[in-house]
Amino acid sequence: MQTSFSPEQLADPQTASSEKIIRACVHCGFCTATCPTYLLLGDELDSPRGRIYLMKEMLEKGGPPSPKTVKHVDRCLSCLACMTTCPSGVNYMHLVDHARAYIEAHHVRPWPERALRGLLARVLPNRTLFRGALRLAQATRPLQRLLPTRLRGMAAMAPARLSGSDPAERPRVFPAQGERRMRVGLLAGCVQPVLAPEINGAAIRLLSRLGAEVVVAEGSGCCGALPHHLGKAEQSKALARANIEAWSRELGGEGLDAIIVTASGCGTSLKDYGFLFREEADLAQPAARVSALARDISEVLSALQPPEGPKPMGLTVAYHSACSLQHGQGVREAPKALLRAAGFNVVEPAEAHVCCGSAGTYNLLQPELAGRLRDRKVAHLAATRPDVIAAGNIGCMTQLAAGTEIPVAHTVELLDWALGGPTPPALEPKPR
Amino acid sequence: MIQTWSPRTADEAAACVQQAMAADLPMELVSAGTRRSFGRPVDAAARLDLSALSGVVTYQPEELILSVGPATPMAEVAELLAGRGQCLAFEPPDYGGLWGGKAGEGTIGGAMMTGRGGPRRLTAGGPRDHCLGVKGVNGFGQAFAAGGRVVKNVTGFDITKLVTGSFGTLCVVTELTLKVLPAPPDAATLAVLDLSDEAAVRLMSRALGCAAQVSSAAHLPAGIASGFEGRAATLLRVEGVSPSVAARIGHLSQLFEDAGEQVLLDREASQRLWRDIADVAYFAGEARPVWKLSVPPAMGARIGARLTQDLAGRCFYDWGGGAIWLEVPEAPDGHAAGVRQILAEVVGSDGHATLMRASPQVRASVPPFQPLAPAVAALTERVRRQFDPQGLFNPGRMYA
Amino acid sequence: MLMPAPDEGLIARRGEFVAALRAIVPGEGVIDDDAELAAYECDGLTAYRQRPMIVVLPETVEQVSRTLAYCHKVGLKVVPRGAGTSLSGGSLPLADGVILGMGKFNRILEVDYENRCAVVQPGVTNLAVTHAVAGEGFYYAPDPSSQIACSIGGNVAENAGGVHCLKYGMTTNNLLGVELVLIDGTVLRLGGKHLDPQALDLLGVVCGSEGLLGVVTEVTVRILQAPETQRALLMGFPQVEAAGACVAEVIAAGIIPAGMEMMDRLAIQAAEAFVQVGYPLDVEALLIIELDGPPAEVDHLIDVVREIGLGCGASYLRVSQDEEERRGFWAGRKAAFPAVGRISPDYYCMDGTIPRATLPKVLRRMGELADSYGLRIANVFHAGDGNLHPLILYDADKPGELHRAEELGAAILTLCVEVGGVLTGEHGVGVEKRDLMEVQFGPADLDQQQRLKCAFDEDGLLNPGKVFPKLCRCAELGRVHIHGGQVRFPELERF
Repeated sequence: MQTSFSPEQLADPQTASSEKIIRACVHCGFCTATCPTYLLLGDELDSPRGRIYLMKEMLEKGGPPSPKTVKHVDRCLSCLACMTTCPSGVNYMHLVDHARAYIEAHHVRPWPERALRGLLARVLPNRTLFRGALRLAQATRPLQRLLPTRLRGMAAMAPARLSGSDPAERPRVFPAQGERRMRVGLLAGCVQPVLAPEINGAAIRLLSRLGAEVVVAEGSGCCGALPHHLGKAEQSKALARANIEAWSRELGGEGLDAIIVTASGCGTSLKDYGFLFREEADLAQPAARVSALARDISEVLSALQPPEGPKPMGLTVAYHSACSLQHGQGVREAPKALLRAAGFNVVEPAEAHVCCGSAGTYNLLQPELAGRLRDRKVAHLAATRPDVIAAGNIGCMTQLAAGTEIPVAHTVELLDWALGGPTPPALEPKPR
Repeated sequence: MIQTWSPRTADEAAACVQQAMAADLPMELVSAGTRRSFGRPVDAAARLDLSALSGVVTYQPEELILSVGPATPMAEVAELLAGRGQCLAFEPPDYGGLWGGKAGEGTIGGAMMTGRGGPRRLTAGGPRDHCLGVKGVNGFGQAFAAGGRVVKNVTGFDITKLVTGSFGTLCVVTELTLKVLPAPPDAATLAVLDLSDEAAVRLMSRALGCAAQVSSAAHLPAGIASGFEGRAATLLRVEGVSPSVAARIGHLSQLFEDAGEQVLLDREASQRLWRDIADVAYFAGEARPVWKLSVPPAMGARIGARLTQDLAGRCFYDWGGGAIWLEVPEAPDGHAAGVRQILAEVVGSDGHATLMRASPQVRASVPPFQPLAPAVAALTERVRRQFDPQGLFNPGRMYA
Repeated sequence: MLMPAPDEGLIARRGEFVAALRAIVPGEGVIDDDAELAAYECDGLTAYRQRPMIVVLPETVEQVSRTLAYCHKVGLKVVPRGAGTSLSGGSLPLADGVILGMGKFNRILEVDYENRCAVVQPGVTNLAVTHAVAGEGFYYAPDPSSQIACSIGGNVAENAGGVHCLKYGMTTNNLLGVELVLIDGTVLRLGGKHLDPQALDLLGVVCGSEGLLGVVTEVTVRILQAPETQRALLMGFPQVEAAGACVAEVIAAGIIPAGMEMMDRLAIQAAEAFVQVGYPLDVEALLIIELDGPPAEVDHLIDVVREIGLGCGASYLRVSQDEEERRGFWAGRKAAFPAVGRISPDYYCMDGTIPRATLPKVLRRMGELADSYGLRIANVFHAGDGNLHPLILYDADKPGELHRAEELGAAILTLCVEVGGVLTGEHGVGVEKRDLMEVQFGPADLDQQQRLKCAFDEDGLLNPGKVFPKLCRCAELGRVHIHGGQVRFPELERF
């Protein structure tokens, strides 16, 4: 599309990058076909093409953005289905990331909203704070109905009990069983270890069994995706920087063959570190190196070629393809192939390319749209009559579990189980 | 004393129209006159005889187009096309016999202006789907053209669709361009005998929804046809190259092996059979009123049952059940009230009934075409007036 | 692109209109914020942009009816819009007009396998119709390249085609019925699950009417059983003439393939560079011929077509042996447009139809025209039905190049008409070809079409400035007096 940025504006590398992206868009509208919000709302303004237009106008005009523009950009899930569909190679992700940071810097939100977003950005990336918040939610469960709607919805998503601890929470090295075939870093994450510590537990068990030495690097923590999607660029970069430095130390030490992520939302983030720090002299190369090594667990497991499952598991698994995995990272077949080889009967829901509505903090900030998407997704999954739903992202798992009685487990938990590990907690009979 | 004009060219036709305009003289538009029994009789003091507007303007088989004068005999068109292995895919019916006249005398203009297709219309489309271009003279005395000579054309409004099936009430057609297609080299028909109407419609539905690419599906209840020893026959036609026809008929035969006794008709027998169905041969040679209903196929049998029971008529089905040909005993209104009542009860407004044969008195007093919903009627009349404001062309031919 | 001059009086009353429309369409359905209106200022034809005065997004037929009735009452012009993928500017807004977006009409209402049809709302995408019936092995045949995103309502407005329309027809041949709202709010139904119109074929004229006759609120379409087998041939020819001869001979042999597409050298090279499917790079023209149906038929016809291709001098010939290979043949053709977008900053996709036999002559002449304008053209051609898509490559940043590209486009379309073809085979006239209508049609032809418009929309409120170069003044068109010959109209307003 035609753009009209001034040379001064284009001197800023972020703007220059966004200008290139906008020019790649030919306004064909194919992206509207797979956009979840366009599917629900039928409004050009809540489609990628419309948002590109709004962001173009916002960035070209400069100054504070129109509140309507903010509304529509806020409604974007960053599911990136549009990028999969776009025939012109528009990097929508980088454009919307820039727009979010721009909005955060130039737009004053109403204070309750500001407070909520600030709270989320502060609490979620910090495991101690998050754990504390959840315990508070559990303790005050009877009082939740007194909360304003949005907070009540959030509080209701807190699990009834926090069980176990994630072995990857503290820096450690988990040796390989038998011959060591590779040495990999594991991102512990922030929300996942608190809500579902069994996931990394399963990942580590499985990786060790397959001959990978797993390292949780000292100093690594939240990948920065959550604050990034809230537009809090500085905070997100600080978190990313800590990770890059932590893994650079490992890379400089014993070395790493890959950096593994079990929450696909984080995977997309890590793979983008190179772009994020491209302008920074000291971090550009290390960031690019980290990005080049970042892998979703399913990619590494495929490379390790686990043996076929010893017996058919007798379960139908509905595979829910997380957006960050299928669109953000282009990983589509590996998880399904792994599950099939492990002995599961794998089925897929209709509209598999459409987001479940979790999208990071989206289900907390846009509960109505997120709820509609969740119900739509759950209905499609249920229609396949599965015994369990598998997903590769904690956000999806939490979102789906809130809308269905069907057990939801992480792909790696099921694989670990098929190859000798314990039964995933989601599939344990529930205590009376 | 009827004033008759007989223009020999399109220009002369325009001049005639202008004279009629000046004199405010409505005209009957006619050439061979074989379709006079269709629709309402025209009572006009003048006649525009278009018989001289006959002949091929251009035939380009490799472009799949044929441009002809409207009065060109159908027989001539068919022969011309057959010579190059082509045909009019909509299988124009010849109701000459139905109307107590001779078959084979109609013109291409008559076929297009009455806008009816034969059994293959179900899958190949009707006359309007094969009309690419029209040249004519409107009621303002202007010669105009619509459409073109290419198959794929969305330039401007699709007026050719409007003119097709307009019974000469919109303009004087002086040239037609038609889409012509390869004639199927081979054909065969599978007949399944003794099915009830309901079972027949279900079978036809299955057949049309399977991969055998059935081109036509009809059902003759017991007693309608003398072939098949007067037994009920459900008929599925398959057309194409010989190996394909053989394979597909085999597939159908297998699919319906438990449905009833089967008879296989070869190409010649098929041709005769489907010609009879197209031309409503089973009701020819009589004068009793005949109706054609167009309904959602799945409703066909239910409506047929009501029609035969309530009105003591007999019927047969085409278009997979979507077309019902009904012959009823004589009645002052040709059983119009009964037919329309049954139709309304079963399908509401999703269907229509057309009086195809009746005495001139019945045709003049009973609307032969389905009365339109008020908004549609008003729009139709506005459209008609934008072509013929003075009502010069076949006044009252479709609606009073 | 000149549009009807905006009525300042209407623009001044915007607040009043917005309030009245908000009473009809509550919630977020009426848009008047400047930042938001921007996103609606163009569709797939981005060369022309105009911010609308108001956008209305109704959700029910009642809201459509009341909105149109209100606009009719106050004299507001209405531009209907589907998914906004039109390549001819069909939903280009008016500065003093309302955009009526049908995107919220996105439900599939009924799939009726017994009657082999589907009833859908106009905002449902073309591909979504096929997906809804794919479970039972059915599909919806017309397949324009934008089918993933284009709406069925838009398909009806443009009479959309696609690769397979040679064998299976265009939208109008697969359309059974619509619910239509006229400009005065009248809701009526045309057609249904039965065949043939009751009287005049109003359904036939509504299809392809580009939003000028009414707003479609429900669509009933035919669905077909998917063919058992699909196989394709990929043939390369050293000259375009040879490829053209092959196409003619296939038709002459009595074969109507499911699809027959041609690409010229530049298009082939662009596509191959983009998707690497194995196209031969040393041929002047590539033909992809698809045959579908029962295996017995397809296998037989593949042999016939192969012989024809060899007989016409194909220097490259492959026959698909499996589904993956067949898809591979098509991958380059389907990626042709974005592929071309990667070898040129901008491209302008044209659409015209020519008699098939004139293709070599037309391509030669187009080459000459391109040279004279200093631009390149890549050609993609629906060889089966003569529908040509020249892609004019240009750079909008170079001063004057867009303008030259448009002039070249007009010259190409004029050439199409000159050789006996038409201006548009499937994209519609919209604004893009409006000013060329007089190349193809005489004054009487256009007058008759505009009279038809008067029957539906006497005040000319629906999509003015599209399709016809002159505004329709129904009163004058209606009063024609002949004095012994043709009458000439006084010059009506030109934009």
